[in-house]
Amino acid sequence: MNKKRLAAWILALCLLGSLVSCQKQSGKTKYSAYYFDYFDTVTTVVGYADSKEEFDRVCESITAQMEEYHRLYTIYNRYAGLNNLHTVNDVDDGAHTVVQVDAKIMDLLLYGKEICTLTGGKTNIAMGSVLSIWHEYREAGMYDPAGAELPPMDALRAAAEHTDITQMILDTENNTVFLADPEMRLDVGAIAKGYAVEMVAQQLAAEGIGGYILNVGGNVRAIGSANGDPWSVGIENPDTEDTETPYIAYLHLSDAAVVTSGSYQRYYMVDGKNYHHIIDPETLMPGEKYLAVSVLCKDSALGDALSTALFLMDFEEGLALVESTADVEAMWTLPSGEQKYSSGFVAYTFTLEK
Amino acid sequence: MRGALPHALPENGGFLRVRFGEEMGTNDRKKIRNDVILAVVLLLLAAAAMLFWQLQKTEGDFAVVLIDGVETARYALDTDTEVEIITDGGGTNTLVIRDGEAFVETANCPDLVCAGHRAISRVGETIVCLPHKLVIKIAASTDAGGVDMAA
Repeated sequence: MNKKRLAAWILALCLLGSLVSCQKQSGKTKYSAYYFDYFDTVTTVVGYADSKEEFDRVCESITAQMEEYHRLYTIYNRYAGLNNLHTVNDVDDGAHTVVQVDAKIMDLLLYGKEICTLTGGKTNIAMGSVLSIWHEYREAGMYDPAGAELPPMDALRAAAEHTDITQMILDTENNTVFLADPEMRLDVGAIAKGYAVEMVAQQLAAEGIGGYILNVGGNVRAIGSANGDPWSVGIENPDTEDTETPYIAYLHLSDAAVVTSGSYQRYYMVDGKNYHHIIDPETLMPGEKYLAVSVLCKDSALGDALSTALFLMDFEEGLALVESTADVEAMWTLPSGEQKYSSGFVAYTFTLEK
Repeated sequence: MRGALPHALPENGGFLRVRFGEEMGTNDRKKIRNDVILAVVLLLLAAAAMLFWQLQKTEGDFAVVLIDGVETARYALDTDTEVEIITDGGGTNTLVIRDGEAFVETANCPDLVCAGHRAISRVGETIVCLPHKLVIKIAASTDAGGVDMAA
């Protein structure tokens, strides 16, 4: 009798102990890290690893790759001994030069051409001349809010004359780039982050690494699962005034990407109005159709490119593009706060209990 | 079975006997046994409830401050406070914790995205100040609940 009682107690204690320690049952621990050195945004890494050392090793691999993509794709910095997109944009004696580039640049620019066609010119990496004017006015307006101004439409229109992507001459045999229009500039901001994240993710997967999720400025890519479960990703409510609803959607994903373009992250204020960084090639002004668009797909490069394009397209046009592209889903947040979804999007959402 | 017993327990499984005394009738013993069964059941129920609650829990316990990716401080969400975070290069962000939520009240960064961000309280929520390389994130003492990534 006493033995039975004891056995019951011990059993109970054992059960209690195993319940308390249940998070550790797989032996892997969840770690996270933040970096600020790439693509002018924050890079977040969350991953499951057997030890902090293992996690740090994977992070080192991720940051080394991100550093390389950042240096190659930036148009704002030059690096000694490196031909990057700043070099491609350089003008010497009134003309661009033929620039020998790394295969990683060639592949990105080829992808940019493809995307420009797919999106009917809404996502156009040859819009640098227009975007650089917006960039200049935005930077000035952020540092001096009282003196913030909009770019003159004349200057934007003049610049828009030099955004024809067919003037970007790619020689894939010799790995050279030449911008035939001297006034043309490249700006890969709408695709480079998603593209770089995708390349890093594929490299990790090829090395057999899983259980990681990356976020580079809204470009989220999961490599494998969250220790056997799908990752849970919260899409932030673009209405920053709404304090009750931190997320407009909770998504479950493994080995997939979700990319959000929004009007609420990179912007400046002129006369009390928000002017963000996603510029419509037709109006040459920030797109005003949505507060945010999220694209869910396998490939974060495609997700990045499409989220920009959808942000600038009418809903029907965007929906048609999404529905005609395999394995792509999307969510649009209208200025009213209302959400619209493509046919398969909601299947990936879940409800987070309070 | 005996080999698995904690050393602190007397031999012959006597810890109940020690507690309740030697001289007891059969009915008393049955009552005690029933009590013990009840206690075990309650304990298990409590543990299961705790587990369930932990898995469902999304509200965090701490606001963790990271400057350029390095944790510099963490503040309990259950204690109201106001603290000026000083980042590299003279950046300042005033972190306020009030009613279980954390938010940036003011900052001297150019874009003020951090100050415009809503208050955060759920595991996985973050406020980022890009110019100051500052992240404020909500964490819990256990790893359960919330989202893995906010975007």
